[in-house]
Amino acid sequence: MSSSRFPRNFTPPASPTASYYDISDDDENGYSTITNTSTGRSVKLLYSKSKVYVHPTPSKIDNIPGFVALVQQKPPPSDVPSTPPAVAATLLLAWLPESALGDAYDTYVKVDLIDAEAPPRQSYLVPPPPATVYAPGTSCVGNYAFAVPVSQIYSLLIRPPNFGWWWGSVIINTRAGDSFPALFFHDSECASTIAQSKKRAKANFDPFGEGGALYWGGDEVLRWLRRYVRVEKSEVEPSVYLVEPSQEDLLSFGSKPVTVGRAGESSTSGGAGMDPFTKMFKEARWGFLEKISRVTRFTRRTAEDILDSPKVPLQVRRLLKNPDVVSLQDEFDSARLYLARWAMGIAEQSEKERQQDHQVVWANRDALELEDSAVGEFEILDLESGSTKLDSEKRKPVSLEEWNRWFDPKTGKLAIATNEVKERIFHGGVEPGAARKEIWLWLLEVYPWDSTRDERIALMNSKRDEYVRLKGRWWDDLDRRNNDEYWRDQKNRIEKDVHRTDRGVPIFAGEDIPHPDPGSPFAETGTNAHLEQMKDMLLTYNEYNTDLGYVQGMSDLLAPIYAVLQDDAAAFWAFVGFMERMERNFLRDQTGMRAQLVALDHLVQLMDPKLYAHLESADSTNFFFFFRMLLVWYKREFKWDDVLRLWETMWTNFLSSQFHLFIALAILERHRDVIMDHLKQFDEVLKYINELSTTIELSSTRVRAEALFYKFQRVIEAADRKSGFVPPGEGSCEMRKRRTGSICGESSSSSCAELTSGAASNKGKNVQGRNGEIVPNVSPELWALLNRDIVRAK
Amino acid sequence: MAGSRNYDFLIKLLLIGDSGVGKSCCLLRFSEDSFTPSFITTIGIDFKIRTIELDGKRVKLQIWDTAGQERFRTITTAYYRGAMGILLVYDVTDERSFNNIRTWFSNVEQHATEGVNKILIGNKCDWEEKRVVSTERGQQLADELGIPFMEVSAKSNINVEKAFFSLATDIKKRIMDTARAEEKAGGQGSVVDPSRDSGNMSGKCC
Repeated sequence: MSSSRFPRNFTPPASPTASYYDISDDDENGYSTITNTSTGRSVKLLYSKSKVYVHPTPSKIDNIPGFVALVQQKPPPSDVPSTPPAVAATLLLAWLPESALGDAYDTYVKVDLIDAEAPPRQSYLVPPPPATVYAPGTSCVGNYAFAVPVSQIYSLLIRPPNFGWWWGSVIINTRAGDSFPALFFHDSECASTIAQSKKRAKANFDPFGEGGALYWGGDEVLRWLRRYVRVEKSEVEPSVYLVEPSQEDLLSFGSKPVTVGRAGESSTSGGAGMDPFTKMFKEARWGFLEKISRVTRFTRRTAEDILDSPKVPLQVRRLLKNPDVVSLQDEFDSARLYLARWAMGIAEQSEKERQQDHQVVWANRDALELEDSAVGEFEILDLESGSTKLDSEKRKPVSLEEWNRWFDPKTGKLAIATNEVKERIFHGGVEPGAARKEIWLWLLEVYPWDSTRDERIALMNSKRDEYVRLKGRWWDDLDRRNNDEYWRDQKNRIEKDVHRTDRGVPIFAGEDIPHPDPGSPFAETGTNAHLEQMKDMLLTYNEYNTDLGYVQGMSDLLAPIYAVLQDDAAAFWAFVGFMERMERNFLRDQTGMRAQLVALDHLVQLMDPKLYAHLESADSTNFFFFFRMLLVWYKREFKWDDVLRLWETMWTNFLSSQFHLFIALAILERHRDVIMDHLKQFDEVLKYINELSTTIELSSTRVRAEALFYKFQRVIEAADRKSGFVPPGEGSCEMRKRRTGSICGESSSSSCAELTSGAASNKGKNVQGRNGEIVPNVSPELWALLNRDIVRAK
Repeated sequence: MAGSRNYDFLIKLLLIGDSGVGKSCCLLRFSEDSFTPSFITTIGIDFKIRTIELDGKRVKLQIWDTAGQERFRTITTAYYRGAMGILLVYDVTDERSFNNIRTWFSNVEQHATEGVNKILIGNKCDWEEKRVVSTERGQQLADELGIPFMEVSAKSNINVEKAFFSLATDIKKRIMDTARAEEKAGGQGSVVDPSRDSGNMSGKCC
């Protein structure tokens, strides 16, 4: 099979060999061909682009800045003068570190900044790229510099940037089957790219390139190459661009069924006339993978390097250990390659995430970047606005000292606006320890925001009494404890669940006291005081909310509250406060869960229609893979400390009482590319999302969710303005008024939007606005996401 | 494209039974040969995969694990449809979980595909001193329901492998019989084509 991987008419050298450059040239006129590094002969620098980096290690400090450049050398003397050598043979695509350029540095900068559609008329001469050519597979050459003849390039693997998440990158795959290190385009540092973007934005208010994607440095490289050689985008694997593809390559990976010929043009699309590749793809996915490996030309070694890297996140490594995947890997190199690319993508993203954690400004760019919004003409955001740009002071957790300063020392009444407090906590969280013990009682509405110190003392006293009374109701009822089947059943369930809830957290870990009930299944293993408190609180809740009773998942919700407060009565009432909003998750008919999954469905459809369409094609729009996340508020998805931080953020209701759905959207968006590129079926999506558990980075997810919320808000408001319907319901007016008044600070005089019940059945369909433009239809579920009042079970 | 996939059959199984009977533990034992005593409760739904060999054929088992509490049944029953085999699990030290098997069984009858293979599993059989459901009662119930029966222990690794293999064998036989019958009837016996039946667990649950 390996022989078929190479175009027959081509005998590949192992890598661009030194001999290739050993062409002597005595012509002194203008430029010269490359001989070697020290002869002083020059090559013509056609194009260059600055701030293109190689990332040799996961650490940012190791990144090497450089230039990617297209240079032309004098054509080698030809034996047959009548056939001029193909222009591609005279071109080299090179990458050079800034440090290696010496005096030529200024020339590279100059060429980079020339803003011309054509190559410069004036010839800029630079020393030839170093003869030391990076050879993949060998131990790495000091500075990574390389130069590859364009004629030797088989394909380019292009990954456009996702601002705030990762840099755009280009990997060059040679006809010999080698891959050069990925070149990362740090566009925000590159003067020419910035200038280009600005110019484009000015010219047509469109920062996007031809394909609708945001303009970035890698586009330039494609543009250069396309001046000289044919570069075809593979439709099979969208990130792959084939350079001077052969007929065979095109047949396999290209977009058009070239064998059909011009007469058969009508058959290029549609089911029956499906091109041979697509057809085969539908028949067997492993065939597809095999094809990918042909195109990308990753070596097996490259793949293994990637998979062994500590950068590869847990869930991927976990997946790789799965016996099934192992056997797949053994069976097909390409399967491994497939996973490698996946892994690489994720590693790159998590790397970026770590690096940019403290650069909050990107969240704005991030919101700007999310393409294909339902509101296409969405105004370009002012990067300086919006509260996602915060100084680090505001991202610091609230300390007890800071908290106490907000109160009137005499009365103990809150002296600043509640919203200010909530905003502060929303962004900064609360310091662990004493601050949490106090502030959580407010966030969970045990203490009213307008209470005085004396009132709170009295309140807590009566709450303690009330807890004892409630607990006594089942504790003292021996008849029920012995004979009530339902009650005993609930008790068993609670016992089983408490013994398997957060046992890794120190206070729940021990088994240092004998179990009080010798008949319990845990009689032999023993228990600890905190587990017993947990059981009592849950049984008391079972007593307090008899309609609902205890349901699995509640122990997950109580454990962090109890662990932080470490006071059973206080924790119980805080839990009751939490359950006010969580109750609908546990209803017998599951209507509460369903409503949230539907709202998420609408949200994704509005905010990312492309992703939604993909999920639809994968039968995944039931969003069931978010069931666990929504049911217990990401308790299983984040690490313990992160759960505490996330919950206190969401308890504030600062932007929306439904902020957890924006967290869901943020997680989806974060993995959007992997999902769209690799996950084709519901089970794959479910598995992938389930295995994200404990690997999700919290702070960037929160910031992203916030940015998504602001974007959502603007989309809704834009739709609102455009639809111009007279409001049918007072309630909707009220909500909008409150929303715009408290969140945006703008006047609420504009008309309310349509909120009829019909909107729900029109989900996904757009309506014509006042001026005839298409306006996304906003369902009541979506409107409700702007509300800051919690949704209670009916 | 023969040989381009790593299995000859894809079989989807489903574990059901009361919460805490050890469904996830059985699955972990079978798929990864490990055991964790303080496992976490299963919320929502998940699956694991193991490829086994049966009569020289590679059979890929995709085994779905569900939350046990009856409260979540409206959602988990959506996954009954795609299952080709169902393991009804109870805990031999928990009378109630055994009594509930009838309810689980009628749930299967109601929601699962007709002809789906079933097996009754009594877990925690290593825990003799706590046992309240005898092997005889288990067998009796299985006979009554007309399904195979096996006592297992995920903790001590008793019979777990055997239970899954036995169910898979029954299913494979059923599928091949059906295919043969269809072939005889002149139909295209394509029921075993794994590239066609993937994704049928994805029924809309809401």
